[in-house]
Amino acid sequence: MINVSHLYKSFGELAVLEDISETIKKGEKVVIIGPSGSGKSTFLRCLNLMETPTSGTITFDGEDITSCHGKELDCLRRRMGMVFQHFNLFPHLTIRRNITLAPVKLGLMSKDEANETADRLLKRVGLPDKADSYPNMLSGGQKQRIAIARSLAMNPEVMLFDEPTSALDPEMVGEVLDLMKQLAEEGMTMVVVTHEMGFAREVASRVLFMADGKILEQNPPEEFFKNPSNPRLKDFLSKVI
Amino acid sequence: MEGFFEAIKGFFVSFGDKFSQNFIEKNRWQYLTNGLATTLIITVCAVILGFILGFIVAVVRSTHDKTGKMKAGNFFAHIYLTVIRGTPVMVQLLIIYYVIFQSININKIFCAILAFGINSGAYVAEIVRSGIMSIDNGQMEAGRSLGLNYRQTMLSIILPQAFKNVLPALANEFIVLLKETSIAGYIAITDLTRAGDIIQSQTYEAFMPLLAVAAIYLVMVVGLTRLVRLLERRLAKNDKR
Ligand SMILES: Nc1ncnc2c1ncn2[C@@H]1O[C@H](COP(=O)(O)OP(=O)(O)O)[C@@H](O)[C@H]1O
Ligand SMILES: [Mg+2]
Repeated sequence: MINVSHLYKSFGELAVLEDISETIKKGEKVVIIGPSGSGKSTFLRCLNLMETPTSGTITFDGEDITSCHGKELDCLRRRMGMVFQHFNLFPHLTIRRNITLAPVKLGLMSKDEANETADRLLKRVGLPDKADSYPNMLSGGQKQRIAIARSLAMNPEVMLFDEPTSALDPEMVGEVLDLMKQLAEEGMTMVVVTHEMGFAREVASRVLFMADGKILEQNPPEEFFKNPSNPRLKDFLSKVI
Repeated sequence: MEGFFEAIKGFFVSFGDKFSQNFIEKNRWQYLTNGLATTLIITVCAVILGFILGFIVAVVRSTHDKTGKMKAGNFFAHIYLTVIRGTPVMVQLLIIYYVIFQSININKIFCAILAFGINSGAYVAEIVRSGIMSIDNGQMEAGRSLGLNYRQTMLSIILPQAFKNVLPALANEFIVLLKETSIAGYIAITDLTRAGDIIQSQTYEAFMPLLAVAAIYLVMVVGLTRLVRLLERRLAKNDKR
């Protein structure tokens, strides 16, 4: 579904991604772990071209997207949902408007359709009575569930998660992970940057280890956690588990 | 003691006489009300023009700061801001009236609106720009990741929040402008300040008309300042929602 080949990204002199090649198949759940500053976010943001790759190609459903810009790019991004560490809900809009804004503005749904979709999604993320609240009336966990609902309203084919639980108080991590598991079970293609090893074990079809802008090792979770071969990964795992 | 009361009585009698001479006789109060109307027309129209100009310039400048695009627009915006903020508003008014529109027989009030609007736009632009820059980058990213384009994200996500943040500063700009229009008399517009001059030239009395003019400005400014403070408190309360 997504094919990355020889992806390089640098910010000025700083090389952040170096020669990454990777294929993500439809329905796969790819979890990316690695020390901070290793380029995980940058990699994720290259997938929906929030960052422009310095070189290399990314194809999505066989179509080269690295040369997309303007309208094509906007259309492409509708097909990839993105969930951020800091939620990035729109504080001046109600939860309902947070969810319906993009589908209505882009002419994908009528107002009524969008409202129905919002109600359905709010039920799905377990917050059916928050439609008329504003984001800052919600807890962190609730905000992240709303952010997921907002992405889902666009009917994305892939969901990209950038440390979705890192900004949450510990007691709220579970509710967000549960929702993500549910999504995974329903067959959503997911790329998840996280430090939640339990989630990686349980949900991932593959786990990638990134360090210094390279993917140093990857395996299905069982093998990945039981028999790590790269010394950097061994060291990393001994610190986080 | 007797003399003291006489003096006070004398003061009030002569105050009454002067009052009637300056304002009642020959319906001179009408100079003030007409002048006030002119002042208000100039201020309100100039503020509208200033807001439109200011928002456009602010969006151009911050788009350039954030994306590196709109180089030419930013260049002209920069010249505009430098020239307008680097010269006295009175000189700008005189130039627009005597130089730019010298050959055309144009409405003076229109000239004043143009001069004050263009002037105010430069200050509004910097206020709004600081408002736009104060909005977290995540807001733009969230909008773009949903497939909205730059303009749509700017209009429905960034600007509403920026506007709310700078509303008190913009209201203050309105108050400043109200006072600044008192130089409109230099191109022979009979605004509130000039109305005082006219009465003075007829009654050879400076105290009464100037006192009246000052009092009217003061009442308006104090009233508006109160409104701004109310607005600030309202907005602060909304933020705690
Ligand atoms: N927009 C940017 N401009 C300059 N440097 C950046 C930018 N974004 C990320 N970086 C740098 O790229 C490196 C990798 O960042 P990131 O992808 O966020 O790592 P991770 O998500 O793994 O912690 C870091 O050194 C970071 O400082
Ligand atoms: Mg990161």
